Amino acid sequence: MDDNKFVEVKNLRKVYDNGHEAIKDVSFSVKRGDLVCLLGPSGCGKTTILNILAGLLNPSAGDILFDGKSVVKTAPKDRHIGYVFQNYALYPHMTVLQNVMFPLVVGKHKKSKKEAEQIARKYMELTQITDLAEQKPGNLSGGQQQRVAIARALVQEPQILLMDEPLSNLDARLRLKIREEIRSLVKSVGITTLFVTHDQEEALSIGDKIILFNDGLIQQDDLGQNFYLEPNNYFVANFVGNPVIDNFKVTKIADELRASDFTIKLVDLDQSRFKREMPDGEYTLSVRPENIVPQEDGIITTQVDDVELIGRERILKFTHDNVQARSLVNLESPLRRGDQIKLGLRLDRIFLFTPEGERVY
Amino acid sequence: MKKLRLGVLFSYLILFIFAVITVFPFVYMLLGGLMSFQETTSIPPTLIPHHFEWSNYAKVFAQAPFARYFFNTVLTASITTIVSLFNSLLGAFAMVNLHFKGKGIVQMVLLSLLMVPGEAIIFTNYNTIAHLGLLNTYIGLVLPFLTSIFYMYYLQSYFGSISQTIYKAAMIDGASDWEYIWKILVPMSKGGLFTVGLLSFISGWNSFLWPLLVTNEDTMRLLNNGLATFASDAGSETQLQLAAATLTVLPILILYFIFRKQIIQGVVRNDLKG
Repeated sequence: MDDNKFVEVKNLRKVYDNGHEAIKDVSFSVKRGDLVCLLGPSGCGKTTILNILAGLLNPSAGDILFDGKSVVKTAPKDRHIGYVFQNYALYPHMTVLQNVMFPLVVGKHKKSKKEAEQIARKYMELTQITDLAEQKPGNLSGGQQQRVAIARALVQEPQILLMDEPLSNLDARLRLKIREEIRSLVKSVGITTLFVTHDQEEALSIGDKIILFNDGLIQQDDLGQNFYLEPNNYFVANFVGNPVIDNFKVTKIADELRASDFTIKLVDLDQSRFKREMPDGEYTLSVRPENIVPQEDGIITTQVDDVELIGRERILKFTHDNVQARSLVNLESPLRRGDQIKLGLRLDRIFLFTPEGERVY
Repeated sequence: MKKLRLGVLFSYLILFIFAVITVFPFVYMLLGGLMSFQETTSIPPTLIPHHFEWSNYAKVFAQAPFARYFFNTVLTASITTIVSLFNSLLGAFAMVNLHFKGKGIVQMVLLSLLMVPGEAIIFTNYNTIAHLGLLNTYIGLVLPFLTSIFYMYYLQSYFGSISQTIYKAAMIDGASDWEYIWKILVPMSKGGLFTVGLLSFISGWNSFLWPLLVTNEDTMRLLNNGLATFASDAGSETQLQLAAATLTVLPILILYFIFRKQIIQGVVRNDLKG
């Protein structure tokens, strides 16, 4: 009984019948009561993992432990999980109340109608859908259907709640509201939650921790801010962050990094941030747009291609080595399209990656 | 404006003509069943009987055991409908929601069997029934129709349109397959099941060739065979033939008028699904 490993996934692998290897070798653990986001681009295997956790798919190899017990051979209904589907999967011919009661009135441990209704009403109150009890799902808005789906998932009082992109069918404003509601709801119930999403902003805002997947492998398993400040590799640096990170091709020769029109001396870098020795060769220098800013003594000389306003800030777009890059500046910045500028880099905030994507600085 | 009205008028005219062509035989059958013998054979033909001869129906019942035919037909049509509906429901559920080894092969074999016309295997079926000693029995009458690949496929396309996540949700909610079928699948597919039931009942009602083969006793005959023998027996009495024909068709017509909406919905849906 290790609360830090309430959910434990060990060397999970999934090969589909058509030979597609959706999950290559995935291991992670989730602390009891945490809300963990499984993040990644579509096709990265995150929904597959959720389905395997739920028992809707069998893994090709590996083990899953819930509270220290392997559940790989356990049927979905005996895993003590709740599942919220992307399309909610409400039963269209039943009323909201019947939908929420359904898990309690079927199966081996079915309860009496009266008892089931009592429990269902409790969770309907929690998700604020009591008024909708006699409605059919077809008459509900997306947000209301979402709440019904969550109430139905919670009504069995599961130990683990699995949510598969639960907000993707909602409009932007509602999404913000519901995601806050989901977080406060699962925290008040105290249920361990795995939340699949492709939206980094969503993951950063509600996750206690985030596991980022790509290509069937975990890219980083970390606290939200670390994806931003300390990305594990080139993929993470480029996936997380808005506006996206700037990448420049550089070559390391002796004690210098040389780009087409600027040079950085290695001694100027923060020596403690080096991950390993750097042999001479090609590297990618990546820097977040807020760490490459106009300065009088800047090392990159370029011209502003375009200026884009994003709320409190402006993005200056410029071209370097035929690649478009961005610099994030204050809303009041007087710079306009066509202006000549000099940009400086915050050398303690840049990252260096090998061509394979491994981070060396 | 004027052109448009002419077009509408023209299409109504065409519709009217086709409606008359379609409906006229039925109307004449109904009326003819109430005519006297002279009226049915007179030239020019009589349309409206001078006097409604309700006694024709009494004569029909007196000359042949139509009540027995009725009972037999209702019984066999009901049994085939209920059992084949049940079987196709379970089969279609398995094909859509369950994963098992050899599913693809089973599917292919069933599909290829669908290509074989019923008439092609009617004699092997007859031999089977004869060897089992089931000639002139209700079991012999219904046995070959208790499963239907066509209905199974029809339901399969119906069930396939229900999102797979509904089944997954039911599994996580703890429902067994049996509970899923009765509490979710059946209520969600009422229309499709109803269409299948109705089609099955109508084809049971209208069956002719098979009962003709496996029965030769008057007490086991179905309506259509009864009608056929009656027609040759009472060959000269046209008005009785028409009355008997009305008796045969009427129940199915009533069924149609009651469930008109559902039948049309079923057919339309099938069309949309391609």
